[in-house]
Amino acid sequence: MAETATREFLHNLHDLPQTVKDACFRLGKTPESEREESQATFHNLFLHIHSVRVHVRTLKPTLTFGLGLMATASFIITLITGMLLMVYYKPSTDLAYQSIKDIHFTVSTGRFIRNIHRWSAQLMVLTVLLHMARVFFTASYKKPREFNWLVGLGLLIITLALSFTGYLLPWDQLAYWAITIGSNIANSPREFTDAIGITKFFDPGGFQKRLLLGANYVGQDALIRFYVLHVFVLPLALVTLMGVHFWRIRKDGGLAKPEDPMGGLAEWGGERRTVFQPLATKTYGLMALVKGKRPPVNRGPENTVMSWPHLFWAELSVFMVTVAVTLVLAFYSDAPLKELANAAIPENPAKAPWYFLGIQELVSYSAFTGGLLIPVIVVVGLALIPFLDRRPGGEGTWFGTKSERPIFWQSFFFALAVTVGMLAFTVNYGWLRNWFPNIHQLWIIAINPGSLLVVIFAAWSLFVLKRKDSVRLAAVSLFTCFLVGFTLLTYLATVHRGPNWHFYWWPSQWPVH
Amino acid sequence: MKDPSRIYRWLLLVASVVTVVYLVGAAVHENYLAQWKTVQREYRDILRQKATDDRGRELLAKFRVEMKQATIPALGSVDRCVTCHNGIDDPRMTEVEQPHRTHPGHILDKHPVDRFGCTVCHHGQGAAMTFREAKADDVFWDYPLLPPEMTEATCVTCHDGEKLPPEQIPLLTAGMELYRERSCGSCHKLGGRGGALGPALDNEGAKTKHQLIMTSLKPPHTTWNWQLAHFRDPGGVVPDSLMRNPTVTRREALALTVYMLSQWKRDVPESYLAPDKIEQKYRALHPTPLTGEQVYRQYCTACHGNGTYTRWDKKFARFVPAIRGVSLVSTASREYLQTNIEQGRPGTQMPGWGPHAGGLLPEEVTSVIEYLRASAPAAPSMTALTLRGDANRGLSLFLRNCAGCHGMNGRSGIAPEIGNPIFQQAASDEFIVRTIRNGRIGTAMPAFQRPEAPALGDQDIADVLAYLRTLTGHKSQKAMAQNNTPAPPAGGRP
Repeated sequence: MAETATREFLHNLHDLPQTVKDACFRLGKTPESEREESQATFHNLFLHIHSVRVHVRTLKPTLTFGLGLMATASFIITLITGMLLMVYYKPSTDLAYQSIKDIHFTVSTGRFIRNIHRWSAQLMVLTVLLHMARVFFTASYKKPREFNWLVGLGLLIITLALSFTGYLLPWDQLAYWAITIGSNIANSPREFTDAIGITKFFDPGGFQKRLLLGANYVGQDALIRFYVLHVFVLPLALVTLMGVHFWRIRKDGGLAKPEDPMGGLAEWGGERRTVFQPLATKTYGLMALVKGKRPPVNRGPENTVMSWPHLFWAELSVFMVTVAVTLVLAFYSDAPLKELANAAIPENPAKAPWYFLGIQELVSYSAFTGGLLIPVIVVVGLALIPFLDRRPGGEGTWFGTKSERPIFWQSFFFALAVTVGMLAFTVNYGWLRNWFPNIHQLWIIAINPGSLLVVIFAAWSLFVLKRKDSVRLAAVSLFTCFLVGFTLLTYLATVHRGPNWHFYWWPSQWPVH
Repeated sequence: MKDPSRIYRWLLLVASVVTVVYLVGAAVHENYLAQWKTVQREYRDILRQKATDDRGRELLAKFRVEMKQATIPALGSVDRCVTCHNGIDDPRMTEVEQPHRTHPGHILDKHPVDRFGCTVCHHGQGAAMTFREAKADDVFWDYPLLPPEMTEATCVTCHDGEKLPPEQIPLLTAGMELYRERSCGSCHKLGGRGGALGPALDNEGAKTKHQLIMTSLKPPHTTWNWQLAHFRDPGGVVPDSLMRNPTVTRREALALTVYMLSQWKRDVPESYLAPDKIEQKYRALHPTPLTGEQVYRQYCTACHGNGTYTRWDKKFARFVPAIRGVSLVSTASREYLQTNIEQGRPGTQMPGWGPHAGGLLPEEVTSVIEYLRASAPAAPSMTALTLRGDANRGLSLFLRNCAGCHGMNGRSGIAPEIGNPIFQQAASDEFIVRTIRNGRIGTAMPAFQRPEAPALGDQDIADVLAYLRTLTGHKSQKAMAQNNTPAPPAGGRP
């Protein structure tokens, strides 16, 4: 008896690696059949958000360039490095700067971790913006994906907010003055209320600024507020919305695709047969109700491949590419850290983070128009796209509908010419205030380079709408104009704006102060 | 159908290799190749060479390659300089190469590193772990490492510069002396005392390079480089500077620079202050008055020179009066001088020097008046003025004879302002009449009643006086009476 128990114990001990592995992984081995590959997918918490099979187009690199996944990957990188930084960071105006210096100098590889955090955050903002452009130009917001477009817009705003709140935490000159500028942008409605003289009774700008900073200036209250937002509130909101975003991708039928992506034919048993075409909303859940027609007999399957391993190879590779890019950038380029924040020594020029520099350029024309009106118009306009452009067509294809590509290029060059012309004119000749020093501020709020650009772009879009008789083409022209304008304004403010917001060809020409 | 995920597997391979290479590279780069570890390994070799006696062997045995720092909460500093400067308190290291060498002099005997750290004297970025970032002249840091010869500027953080042996702080001593000798206080305030033409210099040493105009300065753009260049040629560094070229030698410029760098009201706990520093703080609250001559030298000579001649000031395009000239001293009353010194001359560059303006003590004003008056005997009092003047007639006489230099209404000319309220209040009729009659010897003011050629008769002078008295209305005199401390005179600050 005792002998058998000992033997059993030794046997179990011998099998321990295998039994632990079996316990962890439900399938317990490398899948060998399509059935096991399906199980590998839907028996795993992290993978089961994917469908078991995906359309081959999903794996085409040029369809999405993996941008959404890159944004997710950079978020995961910031999350991990952020938690490491939190261990050392002290959110107090007295200690914050020194704690960043300590991370930089004495924490083992702390400098590298902070660089990774910084670079992946920048990469996240960039990829989120590009992802939005991809979704737009492949018309992937159309029914039934309207809601996910809105969720994506929310994610964009949270991403910007995350990056912005993180900007203050090092408590150096760069942070201090960038947030000062940012909070003044929040204060911009005051330009309008001042102009019509109601600030005393109704001051939304001042309210927004105080809400943001917890005081009238950037200080300890602002720092702790930004910290809480940065490490808790916003990441939580982002993760939640990301969950919704992913879940909706799945529920809305995966990546958007045209009705008959491959001419309606598929390989099946060595011959080409008509494709079995489910509805766009089809899901693969066993218990899910399949709406619409029943699967027709005598038709081939879709052009699908197993998610395991193909999709997961693709996703893992995009993830690792993001990691690799971030590491290389972080290795060679340090995250900036200027002198300790000092309210007595203003940075000149004080610049907001780069993704807000387009807005700062507009604010330099008119605070109200540039800081509130135009951003609101842009966000509302973006949100309305899927509800105003409802005619199906072109889903999942770059410039999928008729004459979309020519319209894109026409709008591109139109917006390029108009924006460059407008900026060059403003830089050379100034604006209303330079010509009529006593003009009422309301005129400048109404008529400034920013508002004129919006009007011209809108007029162009209406022109396309009339001429081409297509809402999609009007949307394409407007979105293209927005992208070009945003990029050029950001570029101008980043490279060519120097001390006192004057124009310089290169930063090397700035007067040294 | 060809394998749809083949390209991704290659991509994954490449990305993973890059990731691993850079992770390992960063770990090695940040941990094993750190500059300070190399330095400490070198130092261990030196210790090994010098371990010839028991003490040396003990030091070698105790030595660990690890980060070292002096944390001084009272001074708010964490100085990691000793991570590389391992030998600063080891007397055997006088001959070895930096950074291993012994600290020069005997300063560490009384200023141990674990109590004072390094940056309180040397500035620089104490938290840094590489020399470039510790030196901090081309990284973002407010106070980069001071050049060795200027380090004495920081002695006065805890000491009274006047009480330290001059041979220990030669430049600082020379700088303090030059500051008095060149009468810098005529234009600049220090400790609340001085003129108002230039900026106050109380926290000049606390300024960062971002607070100074570096446009026309050759690199490196450090604050001391700015000070050095500025003392050699103020207008060349600060366009439109009002400051006269102090014409100093290179060494004098260095001494003044060190003195400027020492001007830093730094908050240091009392336990760090030398007894003489505490006395100095006490003396600042209870100052001993300077003699009249000292006051004149420190606060007057920059504009008035030795005071016996009128100086034409090119920068401000006006005459600076000869305040020790025989004509003024012999005619002006004590009250006239006192009002002018205490309240200044609005409209000119002469600021007020009373306790609430230029910061002179009442005793010092008195003694400087004595000093001025000692330069010439007072003239006997004049016979009483009896003639009544006619202001309208006086106006036409004034326009013909006076307005050319003194300006319309006695304002904004090249000569002293006689239309301003302070003058009107301070100058007695007798003083004015006598000055018109006799002129001011050594100045451009002629005598209008020379015996050989009387330009104005007694009645004419009485008329001019009557006109002058109309220049300040009743209203402004009342306003002056309410406000004893006039605003600093107009005129740009550098």
